[in-house]
Parts: sequence; C-alpha cells; structure tokens
Amino acid sequence: MGKSGSGKTSMRSVIFSNNPASLTSRFGATIDFEQNHVRFLGDLILNLWDCGGQNAFMDSYLTTQRSTIFKDVGVLIYVLDVESRETEKDIHYYNEVLAAVAKESEGAGVFVLVHKMDLVRGNREVAFDRKKRELLERTKDIPITIFGTSIYDESLYKAWSRIVHTLIPNAAAFSKHLTTFANACSASEVIMFERTTFLVVATSKVQSSAVPVPPPAAEPSDLSLTMDDKRYERTSEIIKEFKYSCSRLREEFHSLELELPEFTAVLDELTKNTYILVVVHDPTIETAAIQMNIRLIRDKFEELQADTS
Amino acid sequence: MACRSGKTSIQRVVFERLPAKQTFYLDTSTRINKYRFNSVIPLEIWDCPANVTLEQLSPLSQFSSIIFVIDIIDKFSGPVNKLVDWIAVFYAEKPDINVEVFAHKEDAITVDDYKLETFGNLQRLVVESLADALAPPTDDQNSPSYFENLQIPVSFHLTSVYNHSIYEAFSKTIHKLIEPLSYIEDLLNIFCANSQCAKAFLFDTNARLYVATDTSPVDSGTHNLCCDYVLMLNQLAPLYKYDLYSTSIDANKPEVLPTGRSPTRWASSSTRLKPDSTLTYWQVTPNMAVVTLLRTELFQTRRGLIEYNLVFLREGIQEILEVENLRQRGELTNVASPTSPEKDS
Ligand SMILES: Nc1nc2c(ncn2[C@@H]2O[C@H](COP(=O)(O)OP(=O)(O)OP(=O)(O)O)[C@@H](O)[C@H]2O)c(=O)[nH]1
Ligand SMILES: Nc1nc2c(ncn2[C@@H]2O[C@H](COP(=O)(O)OP(=O)(O)O)[C@@H](O)[C@H]2O)c(=O)[nH]1
Ligand SMILES: [Mg+2]
Repeated sequence: MGKSGSGKTSMRSVIFSNNPASLTSRFGATIDFEQNHVRFLGDLILNLWDCGGQNAFMDSYLTTQRSTIFKDVGVLIYVLDVESRETEKDIHYYNEVLAAVAKESEGAGVFVLVHKMDLVRGNREVAFDRKKRELLERTKDIPITIFGTSIYDESLYKAWSRIVHTLIPNAAAFSKHLTTFANACSASEVIMFERTTFLVVATSKVQSSAVPVPPPAAEPSDLSLTMDDKRYERTSEIIKEFKYSCSRLREEFHSLELELPEFTAVLDELTKNTYILVVVHDPTIETAAIQMNIRLIRDKFEELQADTS
Repeated sequence: MACRSGKTSIQRVVFERLPAKQTFYLDTSTRINKYRFNSVIPLEIWDCPANVTLEQLSPLSQFSSIIFVIDIIDKFSGPVNKLVDWIAVFYAEKPDINVEVFAHKEDAITVDDYKLETFGNLQRLVVESLADALAPPTDDQNSPSYFENLQIPVSFHLTSVYNHSIYEAFSKTIHKLIEPLSYIEDLLNIFCANSQCAKAFLFDTNARLYVATDTSPVDSGTHNLCCDYVLMLNQLAPLYKYDLYSTSIDANKPEVLPTGRSPTRWASSSTRLKPDSTLTYWQVTPNMAVVTLLRTELFQTRRGLIEYNLVFLREGIQEILEVENLRQRGELTNVASPTSPEKDS
C-alpha cells in the first residue's frame, strides 16, 4: 500500500513479471486493488494485493472494505516516495493502515519502503536516514523494517528478498543444506534463487576453508567482508536484466558458466522453481565437476522443497 | 550538431558507462572536450560544443572521421545546412574524411514507419543539399559532373543512448579506421567455418563496441544479445572476487599471492539458452574477447575442437594487434602533432 504514484505497481512488475524498469512509466494509476497469485517455490503461493493509492480508495479500504483488505495479511508493504513531502493526510493514512493491519492480522510483518531513491540528488544515505528517522517518530508501538529502494538498481531485490524470506517456512533448512553442499564441492559460496523473480531464497555460510591461502592475519569472517556486500541483490538484478535481453530474441536463459582469473562460477537450475549459483575460488576445480555435483543434489532439494507446503 | 542534440550523452554513455537515464542532467558543453580511448587503435574523440568553429579545429587534416549528431525529433534543416557547409570545407582539406551522420534520439519516435520516414527525409535532404552545394558554377556545366566525382562517404545511422543502436553505430564508425580489419575478419571467418559458429564478434570489452566480426550479415538482435552478454559478465566479475589483502594486510609484510592464480588464465564463459543456442565468451587480450553464438548441441559435442580452434584465433589476433601497435607507435614518432583519428561534432 502507499500513496498513488509512489511506485507499487512498478515494483511488482519488475520483480514478478520480468519487465524492465523503463517500461513502468507507461502504467496508469491502479484502480481499487489488483490481486495476483504468484507461485513462489512451487507450493508456496504468494497472494499479492496491489492497492491503488488515491485518497478515495484509501478511505474505502479503511472503512467499508476494511475486513477484505486487512484480514489474514501475512506481510504489509507500505511504499513512500522519498522525494514527496508527506502531508498531514498522508501521515494519517500511513498510521491508520499500520494500525488496521496490527489489529486485524496480528503478527503480520510490516515493511516500509522508502522508494525512488534514484531521484535523490546529493547524498542518498543522508536523505534515507532523515526519512527513516521521521518514519520511526511517526510509528508508535508497531515494529517496522525500513528499506531504501529504487526500481533502477539492486536495492529493490535486497528489500524483496528479505520480505519473501520471512514467508519461506524452511529457509533455515535450505541454508544448512547449501552450506553442506558448499563444503562438499569446495565452493566458497552457494546461493539459491527463486526461478522467476530471481530473489534470493537462501545462501550458504561463507566457506573460509575454500580460500586457497589463508592469510595469516585474517579471521575467517574477513572473507565475506571483502567480497562485495551487495553481491546477492546485484546478481539478482544482473541476471534478471539478462533474462529480459534473451526474451527479446525469443530465447530463454537456461544456465551460465564462468571462469575468470579470480573465481569460477556456475549458475544452473536446481529444482523446477529454483536456481543455484556456486562460486569457487580454487582454480583447480572444473566447471564440469560443479555441474555434476549440482545434478547429484537436485532430488534432495526437490524433496526439501516439497516440505514447504 | 545543434545544441542539445546528444553529443556529450553519447560520449559519456559509450566510453564512461554513464547510465543513459543520467544524461538528463548533463549541462550544455561550452568547450571542446578531448577523450582518449585505446582499442585496436588509439582514438581521440573530440566532443565539440554546438557553436564550435572550423578555426578551432584546424588543421582539419588531423581528423579521420567526423560524426554529426542530429536530433531527429527536432527540426533538422538548420543542422543539415551546417553539416553541408562543413563537409565542403573538410573535403577541400581532407578528401578522404569519413562522414558519419547519427540521427539521434530515435527512441523518442515510437511509431516505426514514421521513424523510418523521418530518417529517409533526413538522408534525402543531406544528399540533395550536398549535391547543390558542391555543384559546379553554371558556366562549368559541360564539364564532367563535379559532384559525381566527389567520393565523400557519408553514412547514416539511427541512434539512441537508451538502446544498443549507439553501440552498433559507433562500432561501424570505428571499423573504417582499423587498417588491419580485413585480416581479423579473415581469422574470424576461418574460425566460424571450422567451428560451425553462426556468428562471431570481437568485442572491446570496456566500451562494448565490436571491433570486428565475421562476414556473415550482422543481425541487430544477435548483436544486442552479445552486447548484453558482455555487459552481464562485466557486471558479475567484480562481485565475487575477494580481496583479503586490502583489508587485513600488514603493509610491512611481503605480499603473498594466492597460489595457482596464474595471471595468464584467460576469462571464458558460456551461456545456454533455450531452445537451442549457446553464447560463448573467450577473452583474447586483456581488453578484448571473442563472443560467439552457436547451436547448443554443437557446443556440447565439439567443445574440445572449438576451444582448440580458439587458441589459434587468439594467437592470430594477438599477432595482428602487436604488428598494428608497432606500426602506430612508429608513425606517432614521425608526426609532430598528436594524431586525432576521431572527432565528434
Ligand atoms: N525514478 C523512479 N521512478 C519510479 C520508480 N518506481 C516507479 N517509478 C515511476 O513512478 C510512476 C508511478 O508508478 P506506479 O507503480 O504506477 O505507482 P503506484 O504506487 O502503483 O500508484 P497507484 O496505483 O495510483 O497507487 C511511474 O511513472 C514509474 O515509472 C523508481 O524507483 N524511481
Ligand atoms: N530521448 C533521448 N534523449 C536523449 C538521447 N541522447 C541524449 N538525450 C537527451 O538530450 C539532451 C542533451 O544531451 P547532451 O548530450 O547534453 O547534448 P549536447 O549538447 O549535444 O552535448 C539530454 O537531456 C539528454 O538526456 C537519446 O538517445 N534519446
Ligand atoms: Mg498502481
């Protein structure tokens, strides 16, 4: 939910419909609410409600449609345009919506996205912190998680990966098995993505043993510090963009292997609805070996996923 | 040519990787900006403000190509007149100048028929105005047609920084300046024939321009996909390399390099697409890579052979570039003023 024009329909289309950000300028305002079922990880079905933000709609959500809109909510995502100055009226809606969700759907997670961060001229962090402080002041008693986002960079994937992560029941089990797998094939890191959205489902713990020469001074935890800390969401964004390029030629992206001086990586299908990225820093390990290992764990992960339901 | 036609945007997007959206904030240029770019050949690109005069560019003979950027969503008769005047002057001083006309901001015209019609009108106007401008004085009419003897190669390209068209146009502009181009093309042709590749490009991986391709026709869709593949690899490469030594190294200790990291391991990659194509990428010099499109089945069954062929292709390309490099350096010492093979107007 959020004010009209804040970017809700745009982000939904970028994440769930493989549309490029540039196409979103053609969208008209959403009338009333649009309901979408997206199959996520096979048996997990996300029921997305995109609620048009014009005042008339907001009023009716809070009154006549109150139980339709706010009952059985798993997660509320409230979107605010970073550039817009919030009027009394907007603050009022924001508070009312949060209160309604807290009351009608106890335990629902609340995420607030400070959106269109790309439009900030000057220091983004400062602008974000200011907005964040403002929001926290206004939000009494209800715990919220705040992200700065833009459809034009990886920040959107970071926020949405974290949001859906709270909805995946056995995320911890995935993570544990990925870590075991990483160990088995000397990978420094293994990441699991959902197939259509390319959001991150789970990651292995970084494998310090996969570092060819452990430097004397470095703690094992230093490894993750020194890889790009936006790598997960950047990978989602980059692959998503490339998938779009392929689709324009009526081709479909299927798998990727990569051997660079610094690392080797394989990105391949894991289960029917997930992809796996295996990153190896040991140059003696061949991509073919990684591919074979992936084939060997497919069944195991199909099983794990079946437990999701 | 005209103010705000998109010259600086082109230069920044192609050579400095500025996101196209950000060009919106560029200020009007007020002075000539020279930008050096080393690809197969060293290029110097001059980004000139709209009001640049020919005197500021003299001697004109220092330029190999002149790129006129004309905004096609604006009225273009003014810019075309200026273009024609300039060509006449350039031609007198440097008859073998390449003239490239970029009909720019093509993304802004969404109706394809109308876009092509406008592009056609621009081309016709340029050609006709050129014929008029360069026509002999009337008393000379019986002499063999002056214009027909003029061999000014004027090429037209529809371009936009919001899509791949600018990369394709710039690639073609550069091809005319690469002397050993035909040797590289021959090598790519042989490679394609022996490996049964549908298409092979030699890309400059920094600017994502292709400096050569085999002689089969370039299909824009394939070019765009290869270009995006290079982009994807450029973007992924820095994400997973770790640099333990920068954060926790003791400056006094001798640097320990991870073992087995041979600096001569060339980057390579392949991407499988459905239904049945595969894209491959092989680095052949520090800033160049051969990108091919071939059938998946072929790649899977003949990979060894293809990679064997690639070794020879890589060596061949490296040799040609070395010779070219030597030649360039030799020439540079003979010429007093710096050469400026490219100029952007
Ligand atoms: N600069 C920038 N523009 C964005 C971003 N996200 C969305 N937009 C633009 O904002 C405009 C409105 O987006 P919508 O997604 O239709 O907004 P909405 O929240 O669904 O609006 P209602 O349906 O009326 O509630 C579109 O022109 C988008 O292109 C962003 O991250 N940055
Ligand atoms: N629609 C569209 N606009 C463009 C394109 N290239 C540049 N522009 C815009 O044109 C304006 C002028 O660009 P600039 O590079 O400063 O022009 P210059 O004065 O010729 O150097 C900027 O607002 C750019 O965003 C393009 O390919 N398409
Ligand atoms: Mg909407």
